[in-house]
Amino acid sequence: MSDAAPLLEVRGLVKRFGGVTAVDGASLALAAGRIYGLIGPNGSGKTTLFNCITGIERRDAGEVRLAGRRIDGLAAHRIARLGVGRTFQVIRVFPDLTATENLLAVSWGDEASARRRGRELLGLVGLGRLADEPAGSLSYGQQKLLELARVLMMEPRLILLDEPAAGVNRTLLNDLLDAVRGLRAAGRTVLLVEHDMKVVMAVCEHVFVLDHGETIAEGPPAAIQRNERVIEAYFGR
Amino acid sequence: MRRAALALLALVLLGLALYPRVASGYGIRFMLQCFMWIALAQSWNLVSGLTGYVSFGHVAFFGTGAYTAGVLIARHGWPWALACLAGGVGAAGLALLIGYPCLRLRGPYFAIAMLGLNEVMRVCVSYFEGVTGGGLGLSLPTLQASLAIYYAMGLTGALVTLAAHLVVTSRFGLRLMTIREDETAAEALGIPTARYKLAAFLLSAAGPGVVGGLFARDQGYIEPISVFPLATTITMIVMALFGGKGTVWGPVVGAVALFGLEELVWARFLFLHQLLFGAIIVGVVLFVPQGLVGLLRDRFRLPRYV
Repeated sequence: MSDAAPLLEVRGLVKRFGGVTAVDGASLALAAGRIYGLIGPNGSGKTTLFNCITGIERRDAGEVRLAGRRIDGLAAHRIARLGVGRTFQVIRVFPDLTATENLLAVSWGDEASARRRGRELLGLVGLGRLADEPAGSLSYGQQKLLELARVLMMEPRLILLDEPAAGVNRTLLNDLLDAVRGLRAAGRTVLLVEHDMKVVMAVCEHVFVLDHGETIAEGPPAAIQRNERVIEAYFGR
Repeated sequence: MRRAALALLALVLLGLALYPRVASGYGIRFMLQCFMWIALAQSWNLVSGLTGYVSFGHVAFFGTGAYTAGVLIARHGWPWALACLAGGVGAAGLALLIGYPCLRLRGPYFAIAMLGLNEVMRVCVSYFEGVTGGGLGLSLPTLQASLAIYYAMGLTGALVTLAAHLVVTSRFGLRLMTIREDETAAEALGIPTARYKLAAFLLSAAGPGVVGGLFARDQGYIEPISVFPLATTITMIVMALFGGKGTVWGPVVGAVALFGLEELVWARFLFLHQLLFGAIIVGVVLFVPQGLVGLLRDRFRLPRYV
């Protein structure tokens, strides 16, 4: 693993909005098949970093590589098709489409097998019975699960989850965490943005800490919890 | 259920094909215009109903088709059927030219850009007198072909509706709908939204282009104000909304219902008809934003091909 190119490598990424530098030289490297966490106080640039990786925002400087290939500067849909799937902090299902259609719309290749796979995935996240309901009529938690199924439908190499635990009750949270652990069992690579430390500690093997748009620490969750710079960033000096 | 619907559809089409044998001249003219509105409302639906990009200047494609066909017939002696097809190609060409920059504009900006396009086209046509006849209009050689035009218009309406059916029931159509639902999410999930919007826009421009050509041949005389009226865009939008935007049969139902109603009321109360049309717009937007067919589909969970 060590000599191969990382699955995702972000180097010196900078993103400014007017006079505000939201991401200021952040760097990450993710190896395939593991679950990573990205944490940091509110406003530390986590979501902006996600948006730059997925091409929704144009970065101002720095590089993003997927398995060695530069992907910064590509259109968002190209990056997605290269294997970077994501969910959103605020739910973004397609409300007028049914659960099944939400999945079909983002599938490519043979349609019959896509339908089959869509059915499987909806079953996997426990939405089998609601396959033909409009996504907008599902509950908040069901929509979160649908988003997860939808990103899996893309068969991504890397899955970016933006605050999966936000606004979710404990039962659903456990379902979601199980699903994320299931992803690792299936050999997928996950980068999870979260500011709920408990969630990060529960599933992540390696954590990056972002503060003022910079990567200030990284390491296994236990070490990160004791890291002074991290504590300082979260609680102040 | 599906078989019964198909049988009914076949019966209606057969009836329409045989109708000229028994119809009066007025009856044929009435149906001809009905077909025209079906094709126009359905074409608007293909782009605006599915992607949510509201085109407020769709009549520009109608007018472009009318003038393309008109000039080819009057000045170059093309057979009218071929000239009308060229009208469709011309309109699609304009859509390609305009869609590339304009489809980057979101929401109201796109709607206004399209409104502007129609004005620009009308002015251009008025200005280039040498080709178009300018404000004096363009007269086409006389030809008695209303029966053939009846069939051609009917075929165009049917083909545009068939296209809507094929699009709406395909993944291509689902992807167009994701643009309406959440364009940023669609893009982030791998859907090349710019290309899809442009494809839908081209598809939606071709029908009105052909219809414009048929209109020109049917009328025998066109002028800028007769083929670029904003009112035509408004009417096709209202028809699509009334029947149900984003559905296959909504624009058809809307076109038939509103055109029929208009003919009925208009003949008797010239003033009331304006009022009625306005009331329908307000009523639909307020009470059935999803339209008649949309309402039925939501209520009874009908499949997309409805």
